Amino acid sequence: MANERDEVHPFSDRVDHPYWEGLGAEELRIQRCAGCRRWSWPADWRCPACGAYDMVWEQVEPVGRVYSWIRTHLPFVPAYADLVPYVNVLVELPQAGGARIMGLLTGSEEGIRIGAPLTGSFQPASPRTADLPVLTWSLGEQVAA
Amino acid sequence: MKPAQIAAVGYGSTAYHKRGKSPDPERKLLLKAIDDAAAMAGIDTADIDGFVSYGADLQDGPRLTGPLGTKELRWSSLVWGGGGGGSAGAIAQAEAAILSGQAETVVVYRATAESTSGRLSSAVSQGVFGLAYRAHGIDAPAQALGLRTQRLLEAEGVPASALKAVAQASYYHANRTPWAVGKDLVLTDEAYDSSRLIAEPIRLFDSSRENDAAAAIIFTSAERARHLTDKPVYLLGAAYGAQGRWGEMDENHEPYHASSQAAPARRVWERTGLTAADVDVVQLYVNFTGPPVSALIDLGFCTAETAGEVLTFENLVAPSGRLPINTSGGDLAEGFLHGMGNAVEAVRQLRGESPNPVPGAKVCLVSGGPISELSSVALFATEQGGPTPNRSTA
Repeated sequence: MANERDEVHPFSDRVDHPYWEGLGAEELRIQRCAGCRRWSWPADWRCPACGAYDMVWEQVEPVGRVYSWIRTHLPFVPAYADLVPYVNVLVELPQAGGARIMGLLTGSEEGIRIGAPLTGSFQPASPRTADLPVLTWSLGEQVAA
Repeated sequence: MKPAQIAAVGYGSTAYHKRGKSPDPERKLLLKAIDDAAAMAGIDTADIDGFVSYGADLQDGPRLTGPLGTKELRWSSLVWGGGGGGSAGAIAQAEAAILSGQAETVVVYRATAESTSGRLSSAVSQGVFGLAYRAHGIDAPAQALGLRTQRLLEAEGVPASALKAVAQASYYHANRTPWAVGKDLVLTDEAYDSSRLIAEPIRLFDSSRENDAAAAIIFTSAERARHLTDKPVYLLGAAYGAQGRWGEMDENHEPYHASSQAAPARRVWERTGLTAADVDVVQLYVNFTGPPVSALIDLGFCTAETAGEVLTFENLVAPSGRLPINTSGGDLAEGFLHGMGNAVEAVRQLRGESPNPVPGAKVCLVSGGPISELSSVALFATEQGGPTPNRSTA
């Protein structure tokens, strides 16, 4: 099978390593071009707007809104099998140029719809999450704990 | 329009076996499909000098030259990236090979058997689902395409009835196709509505299958084709690629609800001077029912606003519908060969050999892998000069 796009070893050399490292420090960091200030997502080595390689990471609030969502009924990912059926959200981050990130919805599913506000919670790395720290999301605008 | 310069002269397709159940390994399936295509074309398999596939196909040209007795290998290529999106792109590469003089007789094919390639559901994604997906419980095409389909329905306002119509039309045609895996499954409203949810909004009957199978089409110059067969199927144009802000972007491509068909479609229309109004029948890649609806919008067959009225079961079935699709059952119900079956049915339909013939069909469009990271379009016709453009509707 083909390599994943960001496959690099060691893990700390991956272009998206600062994202995962940030989540471990309970910070949501999104990539941005140091030169032209364009938000760059998904993270990559080169700014498509100005061609610069000087990319930086900026902390943004872990809040967003539902860009799309699914409810998974089959155990496609073994580590999530016990959660079936579960809802994933594609979260739009208006404060980061509209970058979109995926995540698990926790808590009430009542009122799930495109555009609904979401608040993120930082979760430590676990076997479920491929040993990576992640954000999970709940509906509503309450301030993250 | 400039007269078509290449043509399909023969096709071959094995049975669609349940995944893992083929009595033959993958390469043997493929060799048999190529044999059938060559026999139809009246070509010695040893004279095939070009080989093109796409996606995760493992059977490259050099692996086939031994058993085929190839006299000279002149072209071997794979559409790079985009998985099933390359299914009609492989046809564009065959055209490039022949038009440039690199090769003369090119076979386009796809083979997949679980005993060689593993689970198709994993093989087709080719590493697309990285950590940004898997850490959150997403690792299947049904889930990623579910996200895109949800946006198509909820934000763009396309009614779910359009998805259902695609599924029901596919099964209707399969019910009339002797070799279709869905031959005996009558997809009633109740059967569809009560089918289990996979990744909402996608249901079981919105989903393609995994099969062990192989299929092949042989292309050569239009001039040579006329000497080989009395039923050449001309390629009016083919293109693959994607518009800007598209590609492998972890669900950040734009416009999100759309397919990647807009750019290749535009190039095919510009090159041929034709529009959707000139197409008699469409073979669409249907991994799930949302992507082909996005493709039909981007190809110009309807808009998000008119999808509900245009994409009805009555319109989508042969022989009476205005826009018949997937006339052998397609990826949902004939069998899933990563889209290759659609190109085969296009050629079969225009040779007058389809199990569900469209009366007087002269132009057939093949839509390859809509919503993939790249996708492709091929336009076939019974006449070398194509049809007279229909300007009455767009």
